[in-house]
Amino acid sequence: MLKKRIIPVQLLLNGRLVKTKGFDSFRDVGDPVASSKVYSSQYADELVFLNISRENRTIESLLSLIERVSEVCFMPLTFGGGIRSLRDAEQLIKNGADKIVLNSVSYEDSQVISQIADKFGSQAVVVSMDARFDLKANRYRLYSQCGTKLEEPSIEDHVRKVIEHGAGEIFINSIDRDGMMTGYDLNLIRQVVGCSSVPVIACGGAGHYEHMKEAFLETKVSALACGSLFNFGDNNPIRAKAFLSNYELQFKKV
Amino acid sequence: MLKRCVKCGLPETYETIEFDASGVCNICRQKNFKDASIDWKARKVMFDQLVEEYRGKYEYDCIVPFSGGKDSTFTLNYLMRKYKLKPLVVQFNHGFMRENLLKNNERTFKKLGVDVLSFTPNWKVVKRLMLEALIRKGDFCWHCHTGIFSYPMHVAIKYNTPLVIWGEPSSEYTAYYDYRDNEIEEVDETRFNRFVNLGITAEDMAGMIKDDFNLDPRDLAPYAYPKTRDLKRLKYRSVCLGSFIPWDVKRNVEEISRDLGWKGDEVEGMPPGKYPYEKIECYMQGVRDYIKYLKRGYSRVTQMTALDLRNDRISKEEADRLVEEYEGKKPPSLQLFLEYLGLSEQEFNEIVAKTVVPPFKPDFETIPSAPNTWDFERWYREGKEKP
Amino acid sequence: MIGILDMNMGNLRSVTNAVYSLGYDPKVIHDQEGLKEASHLIIPGVGAYPAAMRQLEAMNLKDAIKDFASTKRPVLGICLGMHIFSTSGEEGGGAEGLGLVPGEVLRIDTQPGLVVPHVGWNNIRFLKEHPVLEKVKDGVDFYFVHSYRYVCEDQQDAFGETEYGDAWPSVVAKDNVIGFQFHPEKSQINGLKLIENFCEWDGKC
Repeated sequence: MLKKRIIPVQLLLNGRLVKTKGFDSFRDVGDPVASSKVYSSQYADELVFLNISRENRTIESLLSLIERVSEVCFMPLTFGGGIRSLRDAEQLIKNGADKIVLNSVSYEDSQVISQIADKFGSQAVVVSMDARFDLKANRYRLYSQCGTKLEEPSIEDHVRKVIEHGAGEIFINSIDRDGMMTGYDLNLIRQVVGCSSVPVIACGGAGHYEHMKEAFLETKVSALACGSLFNFGDNNPIRAKAFLSNYELQFKKV
Repeated sequence: MLKRCVKCGLPETYETIEFDASGVCNICRQKNFKDASIDWKARKVMFDQLVEEYRGKYEYDCIVPFSGGKDSTFTLNYLMRKYKLKPLVVQFNHGFMRENLLKNNERTFKKLGVDVLSFTPNWKVVKRLMLEALIRKGDFCWHCHTGIFSYPMHVAIKYNTPLVIWGEPSSEYTAYYDYRDNEIEEVDETRFNRFVNLGITAEDMAGMIKDDFNLDPRDLAPYAYPKTRDLKRLKYRSVCLGSFIPWDVKRNVEEISRDLGWKGDEVEGMPPGKYPYEKIECYMQGVRDYIKYLKRGYSRVTQMTALDLRNDRISKEEADRLVEEYEGKKPPSLQLFLEYLGLSEQEFNEIVAKTVVPPFKPDFETIPSAPNTWDFERWYREGKEKP
Repeated sequence: MIGILDMNMGNLRSVTNAVYSLGYDPKVIHDQEGLKEASHLIIPGVGAYPAAMRQLEAMNLKDAIKDFASTKRPVLGICLGMHIFSTSGEEGGGAEGLGLVPGEVLRIDTQPGLVVPHVGWNNIRFLKEHPVLEKVKDGVDFYFVHSYRYVCEDQQDAFGETEYGDAWPSVVAKDNVIGFQFHPEKSQINGLKLIENFCEWDGKC
């Protein structure tokens, strides 16, 4: 049977991995190539790399990195951050990416999703969405441009639209919970899973394995992504899976 | 109060530990499997075949990574006496070797008759690495973990000697590799990245220290694992002797004492006379253990009594008494450590406090001191120089 | 020299890197010349069946591959590479394959609760022994990403089976030809072991 997945998210800044606190105060947490080897040895199921450089927003800066990561890391690799066109995606995939992540462009020009899906298959296209809960409107709102620009569409509408255009997976990120380590936003996840016919990966909030257990058991999410969890403290994917397998959750067996 | 294994007493903060429905930990369960379900006869045959596969065909029959502690001494002795191998002994000098250890080693090498390679890395780099590792992981021994496991592999390539034989398998004390998988633990890059390097590679470390340290990119080469392709082309095999014969510390120590006159030593913070064979090779072991106590709420005293409890060699009362009396003392070597790194004890406490493993909460205030070991005065002092 | 066929249908980099990291010498092949020197041939691929067969025609490789196989040198097909070993595939109006392992390739049935493509880690139940499958435990997971599945004409050619919807062959083999539905170059340690076994294989069963 198809297994649940645990996916470390790695933030890239000028060729190094960083961790942020509230989108600020970057702290070097390692070399992306070496760290991929480490995650590989710790049986991570996939790796997601997101380029958060503000100056170095071009694809070129990622290409040599992907090449080097794919020399040492033999699991699915997903790259994102500033992808705007088929050409961008082509270059990344040619250099070793298995999947690419689209976010802002999915609001501005959803045709790009179809172009990439047509050429490389839906399974190569992940559309990521950043959400905040709006207390006044009593619903979730979507944001693009690294959480700065409020977008109109509702979650249901946007999910449906991107899937129609060929998105193979949805990556839902809770801006409210990001970096807080207080748990995933289960309502948000449930909402997205409820309207998606493709697998959903949820991100934002994992502080310890209990949070992952809740998210897997209480929603039908296919995969959980973690940023802070594996960088701080004595945590790694092996330990996470050991903990979670006590709750009848099945993960990749090696 | 920490949750503990009902059999051996290891607490929930112990790395990789898991308790089953009866409250017994996976390390104990692994040991039961080791005793009852592993076909050691078949394993021995496997080892015989492995040895013959490599004997006589290369510059040396095998590499024996060697620290001089009980495990590597036993391994070297065993391989030479039982298999008459021609090994290349490879030693990574972490910088804290004690006199008794050096005497043991000299005796061992001369009695057995072996070629020995020893490598001592740049002390200035080591000091910077110790500080960074302490801050990031609450474990200053990064240079030692990585050096010990990388350097012999580089030597394997340089000396065209593909068979590398280690001693104790990690399943003896953690569950990264479980005896119950009934497999041979490969001591390879995967294992290195899985837990040996604490999740930090040499490449990671280079970026972390280069801003305040005059780093030559080659400085971290001793800590970097060689390319697997180069090892594969050599047809390498890197395994633990303890995957082929059942590891028994007490029997091992008896053998090397008898055959080689190997001597134990007193160790900071340990009950005198009870475990004279444990961790005698490094004079920073006291600080290492102290940090473990502050982070996780247990020390080597608990680990040793756990091993005895697991082997039914000690009563619960005796174990508790030893832990109560000896665990959690501040080691004299802490002064040296603070000197090396240029830290005050206050700074040290603050750093370690950030790496504490919940649910444990350390009490930094009321910690009594352990007595000096006999050779304390002979350990390297940095003096008042800036590190 | 391990030949890796470039059909212009997807990423060769990972397979090439995997072979290289295991200590072998990979070489990307575009034409018949390249096939001559290879001791082994790997055909990776992601994409559509008819497009792949058209590419092979255009590159004059369709018969060349069949000839290579008839010299008894080992051939490995990965995902789409495995699919084209079949007699035919129904995708995109249908197309004829190489016929190296007789059978057809059909779309995975969508069922309620079942998402297509089949993407992620799933396990293989090994049905028979094979030199390339040695030292890999039964029941371990590999990385799959596909929408079509194989149907073997002769059940004897099915060496491994996976369940998604229903059970279908995830490893097929006949003589010196073997195919994996999953991506060994993306399946970490077990996938690399299979690639290593293949590179060591002499083509005999």
